[in-house]
Amino acid sequence: MTLSSTKALVERTIGVGVLVLALLAPVLVSDFWLDTVLTQTFILGIGAASLVFLSAYGGMISLAQAGLMGIAGYALGNMVTQNVPGGETKGLLLGWNPSLAVVLAILLTVGLGFIFGAVASRSFGIYFLMLTLTYSVIAYLFVSQVTQVGGFSPIAGVDEYTPGFIGDVVNDRQRLYYVALGVAIVIYGLIRYLVRTPFGISLQGIRDEPSRMASLGYNVALHRTLAFGIGAFVAAIGGVLFAWWSGQLSPSNIGLAATIELLVIAVIGGLGRIEGAWLGAFAYIVINNEVTNRIPSDGLPVIGGTFNTVIGIVFLAIVIASPDGLVGIWDRIWDLARSREPKQPAAEASAAG
Amino acid sequence: MKRRQGWAIRLLVSVGVIAVGIAAIASVSMASSAATGTVRVAVMSDCKGAFGFAQELGIGGAQTAFAQFAKGKVRNKKKPSAGMTGITAGGKNVNIVGYGCGDDTPATALKEVRRLMQQLKADVLVGPLSGDEAVAIANWVKPRPTKTVIIGTAGSQDPTLQIAPKNLFRYHGDGAQWNAGIGEIVYKKLGWRNAAIIMDDYSFGWTSGAGIIADFCAIGGKITKRVFPPLNTTDYSSYIRQLPKPGDVDGYFWVVGGTGTGPALKAFEQAYGPIDAKQHSGNLFLWFLTGKDDVAPRMIGAYVGGFGTAPGLKGVTAVNQYRAFVAKTYPGLPSDDGFFYNYYQGARALIEGLNQSNGEVGVRLQANLPRSIFAPFELSDNGKVKLDSNRQAVQDQWPVQIIKGKDGGPAITLTGYVPNVDQTFGGLFTKNSPAPGRTQPACVKKKLPWQGKIRVVKDGIVTKQILK
Repeated sequence: MTLSSTKALVERTIGVGVLVLALLAPVLVSDFWLDTVLTQTFILGIGAASLVFLSAYGGMISLAQAGLMGIAGYALGNMVTQNVPGGETKGLLLGWNPSLAVVLAILLTVGLGFIFGAVASRSFGIYFLMLTLTYSVIAYLFVSQVTQVGGFSPIAGVDEYTPGFIGDVVNDRQRLYYVALGVAIVIYGLIRYLVRTPFGISLQGIRDEPSRMASLGYNVALHRTLAFGIGAFVAAIGGVLFAWWSGQLSPSNIGLAATIELLVIAVIGGLGRIEGAWLGAFAYIVINNEVTNRIPSDGLPVIGGTFNTVIGIVFLAIVIASPDGLVGIWDRIWDLARSREPKQPAAEASAAG
Repeated sequence: MKRRQGWAIRLLVSVGVIAVGIAAIASVSMASSAATGTVRVAVMSDCKGAFGFAQELGIGGAQTAFAQFAKGKVRNKKKPSAGMTGITAGGKNVNIVGYGCGDDTPATALKEVRRLMQQLKADVLVGPLSGDEAVAIANWVKPRPTKTVIIGTAGSQDPTLQIAPKNLFRYHGDGAQWNAGIGEIVYKKLGWRNAAIIMDDYSFGWTSGAGIIADFCAIGGKITKRVFPPLNTTDYSSYIRQLPKPGDVDGYFWVVGGTGTGPALKAFEQAYGPIDAKQHSGNLFLWFLTGKDDVAPRMIGAYVGGFGTAPGLKGVTAVNQYRAFVAKTYPGLPSDDGFFYNYYQGARALIEGLNQSNGEVGVRLQANLPRSIFAPFELSDNGKVKLDSNRQAVQDQWPVQIIKGKDGGPAITLTGYVPNVDQTFGGLFTKNSPAPGRTQPACVKKKLPWQGKIRVVKDGIVTKQILK
């Protein structure tokens, strides 16, 4: 057995182990851990996965993904909430059918994603980054300034209007946990499948050599636009789940802080592999909760600062030690093992064969 | 043989992964399990954002009540967030499990309330501090009936009127209530009939502005223009240009948040010339003007809405006792500040409720939280603030006037006493009416319960003279 196949086997085993743990989590962990840490990990991981997909396979680091998640959530919130006595107070309060609203929210987000993608598809590097940041800023300003769709106050009660097949996620948080887990697995599988299709292979070609791919006859801009639309689809699903999980949406769920949060998650996990999205989300949320509880109210000893300081230090350490994030550390360990493996002489190898 | 070894390794790895995972998660799970036999309380205020300065005020206010009514021992007289020990109520120890740190955004408030009430398992939250945070937390706590929230100092209307969960209480007025009486004062004393209003475009700005609009229109005034700068605006010039010119209206109401007040007034001067204080009024944000703002001296003389407290009130025994206790407990903190006082009242109510429920929390505590409670700055009903059916305070209000202080800079003095102000403004705001917003409330002439009953306050003494 070669080291590569051993690595694949170990990864599969770990994957199965994590899945078993995830399925058993409701009986293993506290309600807080289940709801706030694990469910949120799957949801933010989906959002980060849309970024990692674009980065790892399309060479596009997008800062629009948090904005796209927010657009889906806001669209859903405006469509499903109702103006009834004791009901919600912000947003359009359209009171539409939740199933229809989910479909429309995702379609709207994907539609905007295609438009955003088409505009940005001919930009690369820092220009692409800035354009996508602009999209997030536009989304933030729209929902915060157009008070009819929300304003600065939160749109609340979104979790009270879920489709029948989803059920009551307000009182049954386990249900939402399994929904988030299931969707995360499907998204993971979808992306893994997609990157092996001819579209995915050509997208990776465009990532590495856009000029050469163009000269071979591939439509670079169209491929990048399609990838951005797919990223928007994934982000939209994350946004819908986030709206159900949080129950409320406010502009700060879309703003610059949310954009940076998603980027930090993706970088901590690793921008090179799709698994990094969920690993980064888990690390980020755990650090967030644990550090916030342990830091004195006036900040860290000696250096001062709070959670942002800690996550900043972790971010720096990871970027310096392993630019590919936590997943990258894993890969490096195996690379190290491979480099120490005694090389078999070619002749011996062929004789053996 | 090699194949067998391979399987053994795989098995070992998979068992190891699962075992380590279970151990890690279980240890965290166990670590966060709640201790029994104690009441778990969290205090949440803002330590970041526009109201970050008020963190110690809120915590200090709550803990002063714990010290006065529940034997709490202060750890550090200069720093309330250093903690408090020895709190007991209803025969049980009260443990402050954590301090929440908001930044006036709903998202952070939600994150903090989950941390405090789910991870740290607080039974009761005293907080939050600002309007949209309270909207978010009211919505969060609504489907969680075993948790109890006593709002700290938030002024948005929605939490107790439109959302109104049964496990949420507010022992102080909302932003509209705080402004009761100001419309009548400028109508009668300055002769305003037509006015424009500029207010922050979020729930507290809308609620605060709603109180001014309702009060001014009720007596016969007209609001001819409403302008809405977004929260945290720094350049107000374009919004000022949307206001009518001086001469087209009798005056302007300013409901523009804390740090924005100075820049907004300066932008007005740049557009329309020096300010005449008789043409300007507004909400409590004008209190925050200091000598550092060069426009502040020209606001001396302006009438301003209150904050539910009566700074400088004299001749009331309960007030004197309260101030003396605050000075002894936290000498550096301002007893008459609304950020401090409202948390104090909320925590005081919590202790009374726990005493009545024998330390039981959840629904038992909610049933036993007081529906009327002594309050130092309350003169009506023998000094008791009452809660209405939505668990919202009906409270005396205290409009103020900006005057020249001892140091020559602007200071405030009480100018009126408005008795028994309720959240509905005599039925104008209802559960079914839209929450305050850009178009709400409409400008309506109406008889308000306190109309014609505002008493003049001179040199900190409430006189028998009715405002004319």
